[in-house]
Amino acid sequence: MRTRMNFGLFRDKPGPRNGRSVAIAGAGPSGLSAAGYLACRGYAVTVYDKMPKPGGLLYFGIPDFRLPVERTEAAAELLAANYGVAFRMRTKIVGQPGEARDEGDEFRTEELLLTDLRAAHDAVILCTGSWRSRRMGIPGEELPEVLSGLEYLFPLRGAVCGPEACVSPALGRKVVVIGGGLSAMDAAQCALRSGAERVTMLYRRTIDEAPAGPYEIGLLQDCGMIWKELAMPLRILGREHVEGVEFLQCALGEPDESGRRCPLPQDGSNQILEADMVISAVGELPTLPLAERLEVSKVRKGASPWPRMTMMEGVFVAGDALTGPSKIGWAITGGLEAARSLEQWLNHTQGGR
Amino acid sequence: MANDNPVGAQRTKWVDYSRCIGCESCEAICKFLYGLPRIQMTESDEGLAFPLYCHHCEHPMCAKACPVGAIEKDEATGAVYHDPARCRGCKAMKCMQACPFGAIYHAGGVVPVTKCDLCRDRARVGLGPACMEICPCEAIHFVTREELLNLKTREASTAQKLVMKQIRQMRGQK
Ligand SMILES: Cc1cc2nc3c(=O)[nH]c(=O)nc-3n(C[C@H](O)[C@H](O)[C@H](O)COP(=O)(O)OP(=O)(O)OC[C@H]3O[C@@H](n4cnc5c(N)ncnc54)[C@H](O)[C@@H]3O)c2cc1C
Ligand code: SF4
Ligand code: SF4
Repeated sequence: MRTRMNFGLFRDKPGPRNGRSVAIAGAGPSGLSAAGYLACRGYAVTVYDKMPKPGGLLYFGIPDFRLPVERTEAAAELLAANYGVAFRMRTKIVGQPGEARDEGDEFRTEELLLTDLRAAHDAVILCTGSWRSRRMGIPGEELPEVLSGLEYLFPLRGAVCGPEACVSPALGRKVVVIGGGLSAMDAAQCALRSGAERVTMLYRRTIDEAPAGPYEIGLLQDCGMIWKELAMPLRILGREHVEGVEFLQCALGEPDESGRRCPLPQDGSNQILEADMVISAVGELPTLPLAERLEVSKVRKGASPWPRMTMMEGVFVAGDALTGPSKIGWAITGGLEAARSLEQWLNHTQGGR
Repeated sequence: MANDNPVGAQRTKWVDYSRCIGCESCEAICKFLYGLPRIQMTESDEGLAFPLYCHHCEHPMCAKACPVGAIEKDEATGAVYHDPARCRGCKAMKCMQACPFGAIYHAGGVVPVTKCDLCRDRARVGLGPACMEICPCEAIHFVTREELLNLKTREASTAQKLVMKQIRQMRGQK
């Protein structure tokens, strides 16, 4: 017997309509769980997402062999068919028209201002994730075969994205993956599976500090990945195309403010690794429209006017958009807590029910 | 609904650890619904994350261990329930010691322990266990013991062995 994934798990059908409408920006796990909860509580819910398909990183980030994509797809369809949640895809919520570019922006066909969205609904939840890739800030990063983790992973969903997407270019190549987190691992594994000649991962600290953990890294080593720790990339070599990566060997220093021990580059330890493709998965940053007005750092510190509400009244925030890259479970908790807080706020300001 | 419970059939929860990616969604939804989660994540020394959960055993050791009979297996549903009204909150917490799966948790209140009840209140209105519905990997199943046999693949058994080794080690350390 197969069981489906159901974000509207609170009831078997939507709750009796309460006359309120909520907009959710971002259809990842945080947005979908907020949508499911609010639909079950009688809200009219519209979910906006810039990508062609709902699911967020469940759909576009985490590879199929770890998380079955049809399950995510069916879960969104269930929300629409059974719980009356409306989906508006390929629609990016922006602060100003034509704002800074994030990963996946090429898929949008429409932009909507956050202020307009807010005006059209009783409240808004921003679940827009962390879709801006951090740059390494080293020479050679602009070469065409240097991709961010997300840039490399999105197109693997191939056909669903339409002609904008390409197929995995790792076949037969010497790939260097930079990073030690979950997206680095998945990128490395995808490259191995799609026939890369060699996959090497460079990480600044040691296997014990790597966010992906020794277990996952060990599994990849079993599949043939070469793991190089305490390696700090210095520059990417090549004129028009990537030819290699130069890095410095480090030693571990004292713990920094995050409690992790800092890598200290050792002079004269330069090494060169031959490469014709580089995937830089060194982290992603929260992507919020109108970030300067929202001041989500106040929400993080618990100093916002209402739990999980930004400095823009009636605009809430949840998931990786609030915390930075995290985990599916944390994003779900965030989405649900923001939805509950939104409900309490509306009961408080518009009269309880 | 896709999750109908065949009337009278005893069903249990089962996690296929070979499909689990350790994402914490099961714990998250349980915590949202009940305050204290009854399915809880743990991690092996190597960093493999997985949830501990109640198997609603055919012969529950926890029930046997409880000196006041606060834990009982419901023969109609197969669920093993903990009755907070009968629980005397003994200091020894024998049920916790007895459970081979680490599935009884400190609650820290007047009633000191809590455990999974297969979402009893949800079952009353025809809904299945919440963790099963939220798991993005279809790792959590709610099935009869016969159906369970078909689910136990070689990968699942290998993963289960790894997890059990870890649980035994954790219990030994306590
Ligand atoms: C490669 C990879 C592997 C991972 N593996 C795991 C794992 O094994 N286990 C685990 O627990 N976690 C894993 N994670 C992390 C997990 O996927 C995220 O923590 C989780 O998806 C965050 O959920 P979210 O809803 O906050 O955001 P997301 O899932 O990122 O969704 C955000 C959504 O918002 C949309 N969006 C963004 N900006 C806008 C805008 N301006 N307007 C409209 N829409 C917008 C995006 O299109 C996207 O659909 C992984 C992440 C990556 C990248
Ligand atoms: S609590 Fe432990 S011993 Fe009791 S039924 Fe559940 S798994 Fe079995
Ligand atoms: S929700 Fe599913 S995949 Fe995630 S930790 Fe729980 S059992 Fe594993």
